[in-house]
Parts: sequence; C-alpha cells; structure tokens
Amino acid sequence: MTGRRAALLQGTLDLLILKALAAGELHGLGVSRRIEQITGGTFVVQPGSLFPALHRLEEAGWLAADWQPSENNRRAKYYTLTKAGRRQLGEEKAVWNQIALAIARALEA
Amino acid sequence: MARLVSLWRNLAHRNRVDRELDEELREAFELLVEEKLRSGLAPDAARRAARLELGSVESLKGQVQEARAGAGVDAVLQDVRYALRSLVRAPGFTAVVVVTLALGIGVNTAIFSILNAVLLRPLPFPEPDRIVRLFHVPPQATFPGMARFSLSPANFFDWQRDARSFEGMALYRGRSFTLVGQEEPRAILAAAVGAGFFEILHARPELGRVFRADEDTPAARVVVVSHGFWKTRLGGAPDVLARSLKLNGEPYAIVGVMPQTFSLGSWFAASREIWVPLALSDAERAVRENHNEQAIARLAPGATLAQGLSELEVISKRLEQEHPQENAGWGATLAPLRDVIVGDVRPTLVLLLAAVGLVLLVACANVGNLLFTRALGRRKELATRAALGAGRVRVFQQLLIEALVLACAGGAAGVLLAYASLRAFAAMLADQVPRADEIRMDLRVLAFALAASILTGLLAGALPAFRAGRAELTDALKEGGRGDSALGIRTRRLLVVCEVALSVVLLMGAAVMLRSLVALRTVDAGFDSQGVLTMRVSLPDTRYPKPAQRTAFFDTALERLRALPGVTAAGAIDDLPLMGGSVQPIVVEGRPELLPRDQPTVQVRALTPGYLRAMSIPVVRGRDVEPGDVEVLLVSRGAATLLWGDGDPIGQRVTLPLVSRTLARQVVGIVADVKQDGVTERPQPTVYSYTRERSSARLTLVARTSLPPGSLAPVAVGVIRALDPEQPVQEVRTMVEVRDALLSSQRLSALLLGLFAALALALATVGIYSVLSYIVRGRSREIGIRSALGAQSRDVVRMVVREGMTPALVGIAAGTLAALLASLSLERLVFGVSASDPLTLTAVGSLLAIVALLASLVPAYRAARVAPSTALRD
Repeated sequence: MTGRRAALLQGTLDLLILKALAAGELHGLGVSRRIEQITGGTFVVQPGSLFPALHRLEEAGWLAADWQPSENNRRAKYYTLTKAGRRQLGEEKAVWNQIALAIARALEA
Repeated sequence: MARLVSLWRNLAHRNRVDRELDEELREAFELLVEEKLRSGLAPDAARRAARLELGSVESLKGQVQEARAGAGVDAVLQDVRYALRSLVRAPGFTAVVVVTLALGIGVNTAIFSILNAVLLRPLPFPEPDRIVRLFHVPPQATFPGMARFSLSPANFFDWQRDARSFEGMALYRGRSFTLVGQEEPRAILAAAVGAGFFEILHARPELGRVFRADEDTPAARVVVVSHGFWKTRLGGAPDVLARSLKLNGEPYAIVGVMPQTFSLGSWFAASREIWVPLALSDAERAVRENHNEQAIARLAPGATLAQGLSELEVISKRLEQEHPQENAGWGATLAPLRDVIVGDVRPTLVLLLAAVGLVLLVACANVGNLLFTRALGRRKELATRAALGAGRVRVFQQLLIEALVLACAGGAAGVLLAYASLRAFAAMLADQVPRADEIRMDLRVLAFALAASILTGLLAGALPAFRAGRAELTDALKEGGRGDSALGIRTRRLLVVCEVALSVVLLMGAAVMLRSLVALRTVDAGFDSQGVLTMRVSLPDTRYPKPAQRTAFFDTALERLRALPGVTAAGAIDDLPLMGGSVQPIVVEGRPELLPRDQPTVQVRALTPGYLRAMSIPVVRGRDVEPGDVEVLLVSRGAATLLWGDGDPIGQRVTLPLVSRTLARQVVGIVADVKQDGVTERPQPTVYSYTRERSSARLTLVARTSLPPGSLAPVAVGVIRALDPEQPVQEVRTMVEVRDALLSSQRLSALLLGLFAALALALATVGIYSVLSYIVRGRSREIGIRSALGAQSRDVVRMVVREGMTPALVGIAAGTLAALLASLSLERLVFGVSASDPLTLTAVGSLLAIVALLASLVPAYRAARVAPSTALRD
C-alpha cells in the first residue's frame, strides 16, 4: 500500500467516524455499525483500523470519551463529538465535497 | 495542545491508560458476541465469529498503542528497559562488548582531551584571539624557507609608533639571573618585558601592580613575581610587596604578584618565575640590523588580522626604503599567539586522533559481529515478539536500542578509563606538547565521548539489527532451534575484511613512525654523541664584569675538567649542535661589500680549544684553534664551499659585521660539517670563532670521557662549585640525552601509535577468531557429514583455515591500498623513510597474515575433532 493511498483512506475514515458521531454518542462497536449503516454497507471498518483511529481522534481533541453503562449494563467507553470535532467535521465535509465534485467533473470530461 | 495533554497522560499514567484500553476492547468483544447471539448463533459459534471479526485483542492493543501520542518515546523506554534486562541475563556477552567499547571509546576520549586542551581551548587571557605575535619575514635569498624571524628593536619601535590597528605592542625576551638568598645559589628564569606587556594580555596582578611605563629604563630595579614563586620561595609572605630579591648581586624591589591563572606553561613569557623590565638602553633601542627580539601585540577593537598585517607590511615597505642598508628585504608578518604556541603539534595530534578513530572502528566491527551472532541466536524470541504484534520496525528499533545501551555503557566505562589515564598521559606529554599542563576533562570532552558512544552504537548495531530484522521471521519459527547455519556469513566476512584492513593501516603508520624514529636516532649529525657530558654555565656580568675574568674562569674550569680521571678532552661552545643559534651575514675581506639582503649568512658559534676533540668533529684541513691564538676562525666544509668555492680559505680574512665591521679574522682551518639546527635539517655552513680575551659569559662545557658520561656529572659540577660556590650550573646532561630530548615528540607519537596499533591488532585477532568459531559451529553438521563421507581431518582444517584466510587476505590487500593513500598525509611527519616503504608494507602484511592464520587454526582444529555422530545427532 503506498503512502498516499493510505493517507486518503485515513482521511476518509476520520470523516466517516466524525459523521457517525454527529448524531449522538456511541461506543466503538457502535461507531462501526453506524458507519456500515449510513454508507449502506459500502464501508465495513475493521477493528484494526477503527480503534487506533478513535484513540487518535480523541487525542487530537475532536472526540471526548466517557464510561457509561452499555446496553447489557456493563461499562463501555462512549465517544462524543467535541466542539473542535464538529468544526473539523465541517471542514472535512467541505474538502470532501470539493474533491468529489472535482473528480466527478474530471470523469465526465 | 490536546496532543501534549495526551502525551503527558500516556507517559505518566501508562498503566491506567493501558487498563482502560484493555477494558474497552474486551467490552467491544462482549458487545460483538451479544450481537452475534441476537442474530441467532449458538453461544460457541457466536464467540468464535466475534473473535474472527475483532482479531486478537493483544494485537489490536498494539495497533492502538502505536497510534497514540508518544508511542515512540514510550516504545524507546520500554526497549531500553527490555535491553537492560536481557543484557543483565547475558553477563559474559555484555562484559566482552562493554570492555571492547570502553577501550575504543576510552582511547578516543583521552586523545580528544589532549586535542581539546592543546588546540581547542582558548588561551587564559581575555579576548585571546586578538593577541598576536609579530615577526620579521627575512630576505629569502639569505634565509631560504624561513617565514618568521625575530625583530630588530629599531624596526619594532617604528612599527609601534606608526601602526594604528593595534591596541599595544611590547617586546619581551627570556633572561636568567643568579638568585642568592638563604639557599644555595640558583639560576632563576625570568622574562624581561617591555612597557605595556601585561596590559596587552589584559592581565592584572594578584597583589601590588605591574610595571609603570617609566620603569622600562636600565636604572629600574623592580620585579614582579609569579604566584608559585611567592608561595614556594617566599613562603606566601603577606609583606611580599615590602621585600626585595637579590638578583645577580643587586636588590630588586618586588612590586607585584601575578595570579596563578596567568601562568601559561607552554609560553615562557607567561610561565617564568619572575618578570623584570626589559629596559633597553637608548643605544640598544636604535639597533636596526640585529634581529633578536620577540614581540606581542593586541589588535585594536574592530581591527582584523588582515588589517593588522597589511598595515605592518606598508610600514616595513617604507622602512626598507628609509633604511636600505639594514632593512632591504626585511618584511613583516603576524600570527595569533595560540597558533605560534601550538602550531607544530597539530599534525601529530590529528594523526593520533585518526589512529584512535581507526581503533574504535575495529572495536565497532567486533561488537557488530557479536551483536549479529546474538541477534541470530534470538531469532525465535524476535519472531515471537513479531507474531505478538511487534512490527518489523519495532524489532529493528529494539535491536538498535540494545546496541545503543551497550555503547553508552561502554562509553561511560571509557570515560572512566580515560579519566584514570589522563594524568599519566599529561605527565608523558608534559615536555613534548604545549599546554599539556592544561589537559583535563571538561564538558566538551564529555560531549565528545557521548557523541562517540552514540555513533559507535549506531554503527555497530545498525547492520546486525537490519539483517536480523530482515530475516524471515516465520522461517525462524518453523526451523525451530536448529540451523542458523549459513546465515550472515557474508556479513561476517565483510566485518573481518574491515578489521584486518583497518589494522593494516594502523600498523603501517606505527611501523613507519618507528622506523623514522630509528633513522632520526642513528642519523649522522657530524659529531659523536657517545661518551660526552655537557653542562651550561652562565656567568652574571655583575660578578664577572670583565672579559678577562670570564676567560680565566672558563680556562681554569676546562683545565680542571681535563685533569679528571677518565676525561680525554674538554672544551666549550656557546650553542651545542642541533640546538640552533646565531645566524649572521659574513663578508670576505677584499671583496666588495654587498647589501645585507645579498650577503651570504652562516651559523656563527664561539668555541674554545678542545671542543672539537671532545665532540669528535674532525679538522679536515689546516688546524684546530689553540690556546695561544688571539682572534681566529674555523670554517665548516660547507662554509668553505659557500664562500670560496674551490678556492683555499686558509689564511683568508673575514668580518662578521654584526660583531664588528672592523675586526677581520683569519681562517686557520676547515672542519667537517655539523647539523646545527636539528637532526632533520641539513648541515648549515658554519663559522667557529675563538677570541681568547673576549670569552662569552654563557658557555656550554663538554667533556669526553672513557667512563659512562652520566657518572662524571657530580665531579664535573664539583669543579665549577670549587671555582665559585655562588655559580649555578644548568642542564647537566649527556650528549645522548640532549639528542634524545629533541626526539621526544617523535618517540611519543611512535609509542602511542604502536600502542594503538597493538590494540587494533588484538581486537582484530579476537574478531577473526570469534567469526571463525561461529562459522565452524554453524557448519558442524556439514563438517560431520564430510567426515562421515571420509574427509580427513587435514581436509577439514584446510577448509576452515581457508574460510578465515580469504577475508583476511582481502583485508590485507584493501588495508595496504588504504595505507598507501594514508601515507600521503604521513609523509610530512616522518624522516629518513618513505611512508609508503615497500619493506614495511610487506612486513605488516605478513604479520597480519600470520596472526590471521593463528586465529584460524584454533577453530579449525576444533572443527577437525568434531565426531561425525555428534554433529549429525545435534
């Protein structure tokens, strides 16, 4: 895998995680399921990519985490979008739209 | 900012962070299981499916940890701890590596300490870079190749008056006094300094004051003493400024004490025990044609060296025109004081540093080999770590960190080693290297040692770490314990080649220095130094004001010396051969007088009858000087050719204008050539004068004896004491000692280079041995099969020896090439032997071949003894 492609995928993953959490707090597995759901099953995020990304985004200050009772009444780590995260989501969305538009135009040309 | 907080949290509360991660991932697993259960799977199948989807929790943890802030720092700390633990578990390996590196880094640190003190540390005066020495540039026709010459007083005072780029200029020279006090008479070394000397150095006295400008007159009787003189000779008396010293029989008032920090051992003007005003008379200040003075100056603030130089050049051009008779061809130059003090040793020190650098490289190669063996032996462990989620980079990093930990331990031990040996080094260097008294460890030395350690660790560790990290990890697991057979043999061969090549270069350097030293010791300087005792006597003019008194003193002294049992001849001269001395223009009577710049110059010495016989310098034609002569000259063969060509000098008359323009003296004999300026110089044309009634005040007496000359010393000194109990005798040495003292720096570099080369050779031997042992061990199965198939033990020995000798021979060839290249830089430092001497090269190559053979034989015989059954069973 070349560095550039990895970077692109990573950027996409970050965007998807931020978007998945925009609707409300979720635990790690929930994020994965939510992404699967909103992309209509196109993206299935592997745990090997998901958890490192969650921790990275948390450390960047875009996600906050706290421990709450889960559906089965045990403790789970729930992630929420911070203010900075919401701003970041807006920026990444804009960038993504630009790219998508540009690529669509390029393909139609 | 958020990342910084995370970094802090990750590093400071690592346990909690890890626990939480663990919990998060386990919870994710449980949630996944429930999800599977809900979709209708049986509990067992649900858990299996969940595990399959999530992957191993451990490896997932590893991936998250690597994404976290400070993952690098964290991993390094972890690796350092891990390395320490595993090194402690292998004490033998650790000890060998640490000792090897301690030797390598230790010698480097020691040599760098010397280099630091001598070449890098500034002189102990404020703004030392602005302090310069001033010189004449002599006319090259008469002084070929000589770039710096002492100053004439009149020219100096013209420079001082006219130059604007300097804050100040001052003359100084060495002087010796006889100090009479409560103890026996002692010759005391002083520096006579012109007005402004201390001010130029920005040096302040510890007590009292330095000289006032109006004290630079012949009538002044004032003295400044050194801290050491005050403490030891005057007992640190608090009323020192109220005391006086009796120098040459006259009282000198002590006006100041210079502080300890002023003493700069390697520059006589700052290291002498006392200072007196130079106090030139008006007549002496007007002398323009005689060049005997030393001068320092300080550049004015803002003025550069180049500005100072060009200003001096302009002034001396003008002086050439104003005083063509004396100044034609005499230019000016200057150089930073530090360069003048340390100039000569720079190449030697750089050579030594290069040599210890090579030693360190050999040590690196050895350690690299050991690390490689260890890394391969641990392939299973590494493969297991990799399987548990450590990436290849991480394995590489861990091996490298282990090498760095070892290198730092070696470096620390090396610093201790250097620290312990520094005193011995400094003592050994004291007489040969300027500023040796300043050698000590400082922050720069420690920084150097740290840098050397890190570099060593990277160098020794990178190759093994890279090779072992690259080895297919799964293969290692599959193979089990067996079969590290042929792994990395090529790498090891390369290490042997490097070690041998480096050793060849070092041994070559040492051998060439040694041969050069032998050549210097045995070179014919024109006299026989065996069986000769020398001692210097300087009669103070206060007690021997009349020439006749001096003549009487020396005549009697020599007579009594000759009467001693065992003494076969005795005489005296002002400057011994090899020590340099007066160089003067000479004029042959009856020839038109030339400008000073075009006059031929000769070495001029004053001798007494008996000197030539005592030194075994043959008279070639004519006769020696005799006690009955009044004013006669001898010329050396070279001087005869220079002045008369094929003509006969005997009976000719010459004048030495610097002595007297009117006194023409007759040549009575021609003597053999003698080296006057040093063993490496050619013999210079020399004129020896004998003036019965005007004996010099300062002469060196020489006596030839059939007994060991050293044993004559006490009686010889006794002769002088009996004549004058207040007269000190200096430098009582045999002529062999005089000669050897001149070679001490060559001896030292030969000794040190030899030491370093031996160290490198020992390391290389160990290296070859351990590489071959490893190869033999790895191939014991193959050897067993060969033996089982009927190979003789002779064949096995031959095979193993070939395995060792091939890289050794390649190394010898490569090293010889490198030595030839290195010899280009060595050529300037050796004498009487070419740095690329084929005989030396062959000898060094053979020595290494023999050593490599011996190092190969032990593993070879061990291999030959391998029983086929054991090898096959293992």
